[in-house]
Amino acid sequence: MASYSTKAFLILGRINISRSRLQNATNRATYVSVLSMNSPTGNRASCRYQVGVPRTEKMPVDQDWTAVYPSAAPFRPNAVPLPVRMGYPIKGGVAPDKKANLELIKIPNFLHLTPAAIKKHCEALKPFCTEWPLALDTDAKCDEHFPIKVQTTHFVSAGPSLRNPSARIVHLKNYDYAMYLLTVLYHESWKIEGWEAEKTVADMEEYSWENSPSQRNLLDTLTRMKVVEEEGGEEVRQQLLGQAEVQEYKDSVTRLKNEGENEDTLLQYKEAVKKVLKL
Amino acid sequence: MALQRLSLRVRQTINHARALHSTSFCQQQEALADHSYPDQFSIFRSPEHDPASQTENHIGQFYTVPASHIHTLFPHGLPLRYQQQIKTFNEACVMIRQPALEVISYLKQTDYNKPALRYIFYGTNGSGKTMSLCHTIHFCYTQGWLVLHIPDAHRWVKNCKELLQSSFNSARFDQPLQATEWLRNFRITNESFLTKIKTKHRYVWTKREFTEEGSLLGELVDQGISRVKSSSDVVGAVMKELRLQSGQSDAAFRLVVAVDGVNALWGRSTIKKEDKTAVDPDELTLIHNARKLMKNDWNGGAIITTLSQTGSLYSPKLSYRPQELLGQRGFDCMDPFIPVSVPNYSEKEFESCYLYYIDRHWLQHPQSHTEEGKKELIFLSNRNPWMLDKICAFL
Repeated sequence: MASYSTKAFLILGRINISRSRLQNATNRATYVSVLSMNSPTGNRASCRYQVGVPRTEKMPVDQDWTAVYPSAAPFRPNAVPLPVRMGYPIKGGVAPDKKANLELIKIPNFLHLTPAAIKKHCEALKPFCTEWPLALDTDAKCDEHFPIKVQTTHFVSAGPSLRNPSARIVHLKNYDYAMYLLTVLYHESWKIEGWEAEKTVADMEEYSWENSPSQRNLLDTLTRMKVVEEEGGEEVRQQLLGQAEVQEYKDSVTRLKNEGENEDTLLQYKEAVKKVLKL
Repeated sequence: MALQRLSLRVRQTINHARALHSTSFCQQQEALADHSYPDQFSIFRSPEHDPASQTENHIGQFYTVPASHIHTLFPHGLPLRYQQQIKTFNEACVMIRQPALEVISYLKQTDYNKPALRYIFYGTNGSGKTMSLCHTIHFCYTQGWLVLHIPDAHRWVKNCKELLQSSFNSARFDQPLQATEWLRNFRITNESFLTKIKTKHRYVWTKREFTEEGSLLGELVDQGISRVKSSSDVVGAVMKELRLQSGQSDAAFRLVVAVDGVNALWGRSTIKKEDKTAVDPDELTLIHNARKLMKNDWNGGAIITTLSQTGSLYSPKLSYRPQELLGQRGFDCMDPFIPVSVPNYSEKEFESCYLYYIDRHWLQHPQSHTEEGKKELIFLSNRNPWMLDKICAFL
């Protein structure tokens, strides 16, 4: 005699699911009973299908992890032997554990990129690579010899994550056109336009001491200090400019203006002024 | 800042609670003070009261400025809180600090036939720049120099109640009230020189009033004080005369120009013309003349200035360095100058100030006499002189 168990089905879909599960069950005849009002959770308890032992129990400690996750795959709680918890803690307790945890499944994981896996990737790629030239050992040298860097991608990102910056976007790059543009810009930059002669002091990128008010003030002061020799004119000026203290003063003012003010530059300026004015 | 305010309130409540039996406390404290610090009385007071003979050994110690000097030299130069302190303590004690000593040493060494050197005291708010300036001016005064002290240049570019169009140059504006006030104070400071110096030029004020060549400077100044309308021009004339005469070989005096808040000369002003447009400091007679003074085209003296962010307009609160406050134009005008940094109190100076307050019975709160109280004061004020003064006022 077939024994039957009553189930309450709230959705039609559930009927199908439970029917497929029941294929495992032995000698059961199920009757759909709309009127029976058993609790939905009662399903699981009386379902009695065999739930197998999770794979994690059978994993040896020194297994090859790259075989478990050879490529990007969603999180499988039964394949990851770690007691991870994730999510908002339930009241008076901790975060929910990994079994059927949607939070863990949603996020991207890097279980396929362990150091061992990456080593394997490197080993696989090695036959296709050549030796790094030993002379290029600093970034500066690389920039010097290879100033232009070209980045090409020959694939479209097809991962599950939408958040990946290269997802769904294809940049069309024409190498020849890029080279042409660079050449044009290089030659254009050497041309000098008429309006560049109107560059004012305010446009200058860096402070230059020549012909600045600072230089004028200093020469004024120095000539007044010497009191007499104003006839020399240009020669006197050159002579004054050649002095070491004046050069020091020039350096300190340039540093002050270009680098900004801090204790260091101000101290240097002070010393230079003292020397120039012979204090 | 909020933490400081909170602790100040707490201290206030403590003070009020303790005020119930304050007199007995005071007496106890006085007895204690006299008993435990008799030999420390001289540690923070310097034996040298003459700025000329103060050396680096005296750094951190206080020296007293005689009351007569205060009345003549500083009718308008000292910070307000310090003036109140003088009244409270009945004496004017100035701490000898390294920046002022440095400038004084330069002043002693300079050759006065060369163009005037410019010194700029700079530092964070409340670190003692004005006091350093006053110390140096006191030195100059004791050496018999003529002191041209502009107490706060910021006051000339803001809150001006009366603005007249200048008769001399119609593009400029006069400030009669400020000018007369300054002339009055100038007269008090340099009484002795006014009868000795004679003018070299002739000045015409109105159709009927003029000042002849060779008349005394005192007359010029009196003219400015009595005829308020032309006072700004008088100020300009005085500055010009002094500038011209100080370098001459027959000059009887050396000139020290002291300006507090020199960054106001090249900053912005909040004074508005009648059509509500802002006045450029360039257009103010007083500022124009002061700028001319700042140039080093005269010799026989020195120009000592301070930068001040506290009274300045439209400058960020944390800026204190020369270029930040002077701006491009100011720097170009003042260059080359000697920047002198005025830092917060060092440990020794803080000790000295603390002992001074205790000696003057300014720190009444019993806990302020303990080591812990001292550490608290150090922490709260970060050894900034102004902050320390503000905090101790409550104790």
